[in-house]
Amino acid sequence: MTQTVKAAKKPSASKAAAPAKAKAAAPAKVKATPEAKAAPEAKKASSKKKSALAFPFTSIVGQEEMKLSLILNIIDPRIGGVLVMGHRGTGKSTTVRALAEVLPFIPRVKDDIYNRTVEQYVEMEAAGKKGVPAINPDEVKTEMIPVPVVDLPLGATEDRVCGTIDIEKALTSGVKAFEPGLLAQSNRGFLYIDEVNLLDDHLVDVLLDVAASGKNVVEREGISIRHPARFVLVGSGNPEEGELRPQLLDRFGLHARIITINDVAKRVQIVKLRREYDEDPEAFIKKVTREQQKLQKKIVAAQDLLPQVSMDDKVLTDIARLCMNLGIDGHRGELTITRTAHAYAAYKGQTQVTMQHVREIAGLCLRHRLRKDPLETVDAGEKIERELAKVLGEGEAAA
Amino acid sequence: MIAFTDIVGMDLAKQALMLLAVDPSLGGVVIPSAVGSGKSTLARAFADILPDGTPFIELPLNVTEDRLIGGVDLEATLATGQRVVQHGVLSKAHKGVLYVDSLSLLDSSAVSHVMDAMSRGAVIVEREGLSEVHPADFMLVGTYDPSDGEVRMGLLDRIGIIVPFATQNDYRARKKIVSTVLGTRDSEDTNDELRMLRGLIEAARVQLPNVSMTQEQIKGLIQTAISLGVEGNRVDIFTIRCAIASAALAQRTEVDDEDLKLAVKLVLVPRATRMPEREATEEEMQAPDEPPPQEEPADEAEDENAPPDESDADADEEQEETPDMIEELMMDAMETELPDNILNISLASKKKAKSGSRGEALNNRRGRFVRAQEGEMKSGKVALIPTLISAAPWQKNRKEEKAKKGIKTGALVINKEDVKIKKFRDKSGTLFIFMVDASGSMALNRMRQAKGAVASLLQNAYVHRDQVALISFRGKQAQVLLPPSQSVDRAKRELDVLPTGGGTPLASALITAWETAKQARTKGISQIMFVLITDGRGNIPLKAAYEPDAEKAPKEELEKEIEAIALTIQADGVASIVVDTQMNYLSRGEAPKLAQKLGGRYFYLPNAKAEQIVEAALS
Repeated sequence: MTQTVKAAKKPSASKAAAPAKAKAAAPAKVKATPEAKAAPEAKKASSKKKSALAFPFTSIVGQEEMKLSLILNIIDPRIGGVLVMGHRGTGKSTTVRALAEVLPFIPRVKDDIYNRTVEQYVEMEAAGKKGVPAINPDEVKTEMIPVPVVDLPLGATEDRVCGTIDIEKALTSGVKAFEPGLLAQSNRGFLYIDEVNLLDDHLVDVLLDVAASGKNVVEREGISIRHPARFVLVGSGNPEEGELRPQLLDRFGLHARIITINDVAKRVQIVKLRREYDEDPEAFIKKVTREQQKLQKKIVAAQDLLPQVSMDDKVLTDIARLCMNLGIDGHRGELTITRTAHAYAAYKGQTQVTMQHVREIAGLCLRHRLRKDPLETVDAGEKIERELAKVLGEGEAAA
Repeated sequence: MIAFTDIVGMDLAKQALMLLAVDPSLGGVVIPSAVGSGKSTLARAFADILPDGTPFIELPLNVTEDRLIGGVDLEATLATGQRVVQHGVLSKAHKGVLYVDSLSLLDSSAVSHVMDAMSRGAVIVEREGLSEVHPADFMLVGTYDPSDGEVRMGLLDRIGIIVPFATQNDYRARKKIVSTVLGTRDSEDTNDELRMLRGLIEAARVQLPNVSMTQEQIKGLIQTAISLGVEGNRVDIFTIRCAIASAALAQRTEVDDEDLKLAVKLVLVPRATRMPEREATEEEMQAPDEPPPQEEPADEAEDENAPPDESDADADEEQEETPDMIEELMMDAMETELPDNILNISLASKKKAKSGSRGEALNNRRGRFVRAQEGEMKSGKVALIPTLISAAPWQKNRKEEKAKKGIKTGALVINKEDVKIKKFRDKSGTLFIFMVDASGSMALNRMRQAKGAVASLLQNAYVHRDQVALISFRGKQAQVLLPPSQSVDRAKRELDVLPTGGGTPLASALITAWETAKQARTKGISQIMFVLITDGRGNIPLKAAYEPDAEKAPKEELEKEIEAIALTIQADGVASIVVDTQMNYLSRGEAPKLAQKLGGRYFYLPNAKAEQIVEAALS
């Protein structure tokens, strides 16, 4: 096991960890140690279980597009998340749920339910509270936590997503206390929605709103709260189950496509690893610990390198031309390519973004931004590749 | 109740259930079968062969979301003043069986929750102020009648075994069934048989970890899955587990050919998207989608920590050996595959099966609970927690006030304005069923325009939650090319190849569309619109579908047939439009007549364009 997740044991915070753990227990048919049935009173204690097991990220065979997209989003969360669409049974949710184990650690104010940094904490706590003495940042205690991964199940209701009044406190002591929702828990982390194309319209509205502003504003039941909610949105689904709303589609930075692996050797390998894992998950995870740590280190190194990565104006011009030629509306396309290319260069340990980097990630960034013609027979990826070649050709000719 | 061992026939389904009992990680068994075949009796008898105390939970079709996933226990919460959690049906089935009769009729939101629970082995409850994880690792046993519609693919993907569709038993078996029902069998025999069977399964469970499988066998199964065009990689695990369970059941320690055949039959064949004979042509068509066979070295490097893989080394000899084996497996498995010809329907039975009037979307009662809003208690389901929440802050004041007036109060004072009712998602949209005449010379154009119209409707479908289905008719009978769908991707794929030419089985098209409409109704879609694109001249009778020499029929008979169906459809409250594509000078007025019979509107668009069709459908 790479990291033994040590979530804070304060009730509110341990709740935050609960969904994260369930998610870890997920992969297919693993007989994860069943949690004791939570009795009503034991509710808050039920999540004390240390850390559940997930099929290791580095042991996932193939599906490079998806893995790269996730890694790039860890390196630079501003890329804006990833949408993974594709065939059933190809490891979409397994991969996302495996992510938690390779994520780096971040500092937050100790036991803070919103995972705030010291600066955010000081700013938010001081604002709007007259008479409260300013908080000295040096006195605020911090702790290191793994980047949170929060699972948003389809059946979630709005109050659990946004947060609401703590009813028990309200009933027993008449205090109006805020009980944070999933958006609070996912601040500075990942918010994962499986079957995102089936998510209820109403929740989609909420998500779009929060994703755009980075803040969750709760004005209900006599509560007025705003808290930071900046998360990397990860969605997955099967396009045959339904379409994704265009506004939501546009919100995702990257779009990874995933298809059935039809290579026998690879599939044999998948089966072999899976069976080995099912037989003894702990031993299996132990065996790949080094791999996992290696990846984690590589990601952290890329994060550190990112500020030094630079890009020539010429590359930027080419990117702009590419987006223009493809008829992409707005500027999110260029922006996403630029950020993603930076992260990709950093991941490769390089400090200069080249068109080669751009070429490798352009499909991920633009696939879902092309105007959609349902009867179009040319694959979006090919179209992008073709325009890219044109842009590069022009670029060379001009030079 | 009839015991597992007393059930006659359906041997394959029995075998499937026994395999599941041996290895519950197969996920489940789905049994598609016609009405009255005893499939639900068998499924319920499954409990007989499971260890004592295994939960067996039946999921009612009309289950509400809070009962399914769990939520707040009203009574206990009110009694104690503390939030008391009630586990949902899914978590009650933990370590046991969840049984769904008429699986294809389960509504889509419930299906999503079942799928989600199966993928996690747990239910995540994030609702009504609760945030909990309940374990829910269960086997799903589902039975359904394929004429009620199909089960969602995403769900089937998580269920290991799909029993090939079986028709009715022969008369000898039926005789035995009757004698069993009449109780002529000795109950002692039954008990002995049951005991033996349980012992067998118990022994197989013990044997399970000792069964081994060769690399070649695994490769063979994977290659079979690929050549059958089965989607996804999850299926590989299921075939392997199935073969191993089969070997364990036979008390062997090695998987043999019989086990492999069984696995192909129960896991792969029902998911096949193509038959291996046609592989070459299919491959050509799908070529752009398929990844190149060569693999980048980068991938290999990633797996280096795994034990050395001999796949590369013996890949060559493998190529020579496996094709034979696969072919043999396939052929054997194929023999059991029965034609899914369930379209032998007579008009008389149809009329009887007529469903009720057009339903309204009940958005205060059913569907997905989204949020609570103010409202009267009578007008819907009361959302308890939101109601309590809005009442909570005022408790102190209210109690004091009431006390002043000398009114005694209970633990809580709830006023009318506190009451919140649940708002459910209104999931109704319109289902547009396109029927396109693919016969004759103009067919190509009609088809293209219909495709355009389908695509255009789907692009806007999200906003209205509309769905589109497409039925083409030519030759002897109509065919559903695109079942009701919202997916542009799927429409694109299904409509890629559209054969045209031949006779005009108009009656068959109408019946098929009506069947589709009825299925959609059971899934909560109440508004249905038929869009019929044709010249209105049917010339193939219904019976041509199963009587090859019945193609010729007198004109009057044909007209009568169509009229009867059209009137029935009209009476059933389905809206229709007829788009006439016949050139004016050729028309004998069949299409307007048809529109009249259907009680629908008539559009004369001899050069129908996609946009015009959409406009007509939406107007």
